Amino acid sequence: MQQLMALESSVLQFAEAAVKAAATVEILERSPATLRDAILRAVGDATRILFAPPHELPVALFSEFAADSRVVANPTPDEMVHSAAGVTEAFAGVASTGSVCVDVGYERTGVVSLLAPLQIAVVAAETIVPKPRDLFRSDILDGKGLKRDFVFVTGPSATADMGPLVRGVHGPHKLHIIVVR
Amino acid sequence: MAAPVNSADIQPRQVANKSNKKALLDAIRMTLDVQSAAVRLNTQTFNRNRYAATALIGDYNELKDRARQIKEAAIANLPELLRRLEASVQANGGHFYLAKTAAAANQYIRDVLVRHQVKRVVKGKSITSEEIKLNHAIEAAGIAVAETDLAEFILQVADEQPSHIIAPALHYSRERITKLFKRKFTTDLPLDTGEELTRFAREKLREQFIAADAGISGANLIAADSGSLMLVESEGNIRMTMTLPSLHIAIAGIEKVVPSRTDFGPFLELLPASGTGQPLTSYVSILHPPLQSPPFVAPGGTAKPREFHLVLIDNGRSRMREDPVLHEALYCIRCSACLNSCANFETVGGHAFGGETYSGGIGGSWEAGTGTLMNARFSELCTACSRCVPQCPVRIDIPWLNENLRQRMNLEQPPSVAKSAFGAMTGSAEQDRVAPLQKQFFGNYHSFGKWGTRFAALANASMHLPGARGLMESALGVDCRRTLPPFPKKTWEQLYHEERGVKPGTIEPGVVMLADVFTNYGAPERGMAAIRVLRAIGLDVALSPAMPDGRAAMSQGMMETAQRQARALAPVLKRYLDEGRKIVVLEPSVLAMLRFDFKHLLGDPGTQTLLAQNSFEPLEVLWGVAQELRLDLAQIFAARRCPHGTRLFYHSHCQQRTCNSATQTVEVLRAAGFDVVTSSVECCGMAGSFGYKREYYELSMAVGEDLFAQVRRAEEGSGPRTLVASGISCHEQLSAGLGREVFHPAELLASTL
Ligand code: SF4
Repeated sequence: MQQLMALESSVLQFAEAAVKAAATVEILERSPATLRDAILRAVGDATRILFAPPHELPVALFSEFAADSRVVANPTPDEMVHSAAGVTEAFAGVASTGSVCVDVGYERTGVVSLLAPLQIAVVAAETIVPKPRDLFRSDILDGKGLKRDFVFVTGPSATADMGPLVRGVHGPHKLHIIVVR
Repeated sequence: MAAPVNSADIQPRQVANKSNKKALLDAIRMTLDVQSAAVRLNTQTFNRNRYAATALIGDYNELKDRARQIKEAAIANLPELLRRLEASVQANGGHFYLAKTAAAANQYIRDVLVRHQVKRVVKGKSITSEEIKLNHAIEAAGIAVAETDLAEFILQVADEQPSHIIAPALHYSRERITKLFKRKFTTDLPLDTGEELTRFAREKLREQFIAADAGISGANLIAADSGSLMLVESEGNIRMTMTLPSLHIAIAGIEKVVPSRTDFGPFLELLPASGTGQPLTSYVSILHPPLQSPPFVAPGGTAKPREFHLVLIDNGRSRMREDPVLHEALYCIRCSACLNSCANFETVGGHAFGGETYSGGIGGSWEAGTGTLMNARFSELCTACSRCVPQCPVRIDIPWLNENLRQRMNLEQPPSVAKSAFGAMTGSAEQDRVAPLQKQFFGNYHSFGKWGTRFAALANASMHLPGARGLMESALGVDCRRTLPPFPKKTWEQLYHEERGVKPGTIEPGVVMLADVFTNYGAPERGMAAIRVLRAIGLDVALSPAMPDGRAAMSQGMMETAQRQARALAPVLKRYLDEGRKIVVLEPSVLAMLRFDFKHLLGDPGTQTLLAQNSFEPLEVLWGVAQELRLDLAQIFAARRCPHGTRLFYHSHCQQRTCNSATQTVEVLRAAGFDVVTSSVECCGMAGSFGYKREYYELSMAVGEDLFAQVRRAEEGSGPRTLVASGISCHEQLSAGLGREVFHPAELLASTL
């Protein structure tokens, strides 16, 4: 019970911080159908969706979504540059900053999470750690935090170089996070 | 005086090198005219956000200690770490190159690019690449370079040097960017919002990313144990630079190496919070290139295996490491907190307060370390107000570095008979007599005070003699438009000793007030007011002999003189401590000497700690006693009895805030029944002697404008407030800017007795 409450509060802290960083957050029960519906809702009428299969979350969780006709399994370079959304898992989240941690060591996760205007990251509630520094500790997430190559993603890309704050620069213009429990 | 220059004609590049003073003065004029508004807006936003973001880090101070320890150990152990790093990079399948000089680094990178027949390079932001002028070297080989960070893109289009270490084009307002782009590109787009400009630049750069065959990035930190890089950014261009092309070259100074990846932890949180004031920036990458994922192949291109080169640059850093002062600069993580919390920087930015590459308070040490000493001349704009010191995540004493640079620049000056006679007469230590007359004048203020008060009538009258101020200006560089505090007929010491029938205080322990030279010769009545106020709550107050503390000399880079003065003063104060008294210091810049700066000067850590822990600002002591004894301050210092009114505008002194001794004054005044509005500027712009100097008068007043505007806003609609300030130079600045009398808080309290 206590564990459950701690989980609840870290998810809430995470969601609050992520929204502050201009991301949108949705919290779902873990099921292939709900996940598919949530992702498809978020992408709207996009005709092409990039997807990098997960390595931590079960592949089966994404099975229904991956079967959608708009998901491009093996994108050509041109498709990679011209897709509306990119979907990846995040192997961890950070409660204090609302960041999601995306492993960019695999096949295409780096580009899928970077090139499309809308980034969707799916993160498991129990992998949310309190602070960024926890990702360098071997005693957290069973040592899985010590990924070889990864990125803390906090909100969409942004700049203040052109005067006022503008969201959406070279990287995604929007970040949608789906927390699964 | 130099012929007046139309500031609109000065191009930033022409004044990047400040080894001659004219460039510095021209740059100040140019930035005040053209860039100041944008610089102010952007740096002050960073500054506000930093205060908010660091307050959210629960263990901020511990994290800073940890960061400092990591950097100290890493720099001490650098040769070993570099060896380990080389092995790690090679084990990952990358190439490692340690470049002794800028030229060697450029040569290596050019060779790699030529070997790969690279035609187009995309670059992420790297200030180190600016230091070595990498773009020139690459372009000279016929290879196109695209800066992809939007700020760097602006600079590349404008051909200007960076004006800030993390937001290098922050001197550009949106309107000026629009004008620039319209001039340089043919486009029908309106480009008159941030969104449109961003979209325009993004589309141009997308093409570059797709077509590029090499990416060059910097690195914020590098771990020796694994070869991991940490890269902090918001735009996503650095990720593109490292992910898309098959060839990736990362360049960084050797000081970026830390032992292990675990050491990234504290910096990961401190760097973004201290810089832009975000908990984290949009993207923080932790990578061990070469990446295992395949590179992006442009439509129609051919796949190539990934290749990675780490180029580490020495270029003077090993010499800095051996330098007893400059080695501190190697701890710098380039967060920019010291730029954004600096009132002078906020007003002119890095095109004036900066050199060819580096800017701000820490910039002088970097220009001196990687270039030549005279490149650091702009560090004169550091007034040692100390506001940057508590902001620095690795606890670098930035003013101390600048004062030492000043000393070194003084020593480069040719000696002259006039300077050394002037120095001998006024009390400069032997070595400091090469310093310019102006510096020796301000550095030896106590000598002038001593003579001036002895012949007060004559001295004050002579200031009013026709031509006398002109002489002060031409010989000593004291600006004609400033009033130096008139010499009083009697010093604080004399007034104190003439008092009769004073009853000893009733509370233990008593205090001794340090008769600092500024109050003793400049505002003795203020000193007496402070004594009366402390006595009013029952404290026994003694007064120390008037002795210089080293502040004035140190701020002019006269380090020998400062050291001699500090070492003479310390035992005198120590005797009072032995008697069981606490030390009370009226002038905050002198309090900061005892709290912080003596650690550099005394060479006696025991005494220094004792002095630091037992010296206080007068109202800090008063508030402490009042809390402890539950005194009713509204009774003792009833505000309604104050002849100057009860509505106040209070400006605390910069060093007083660094000492954490400012809020107590507001508490006391409010408890006494005053209605207090406080300023929120980092510094009034006077900063000791800085604003008195002829060449900095305009800058000083421009800095002050923020404070004057705050006063005007506080009074809007609700009528005037009495001006109150704790520092003697803040008094001069406020009264110069607003033409009104300014009081010390102790004077107001004393007036209610
Ligand atoms: S000196 Fe300190 S505050 Fe200034 S940029 Fe370096 S790390 Fe930041």
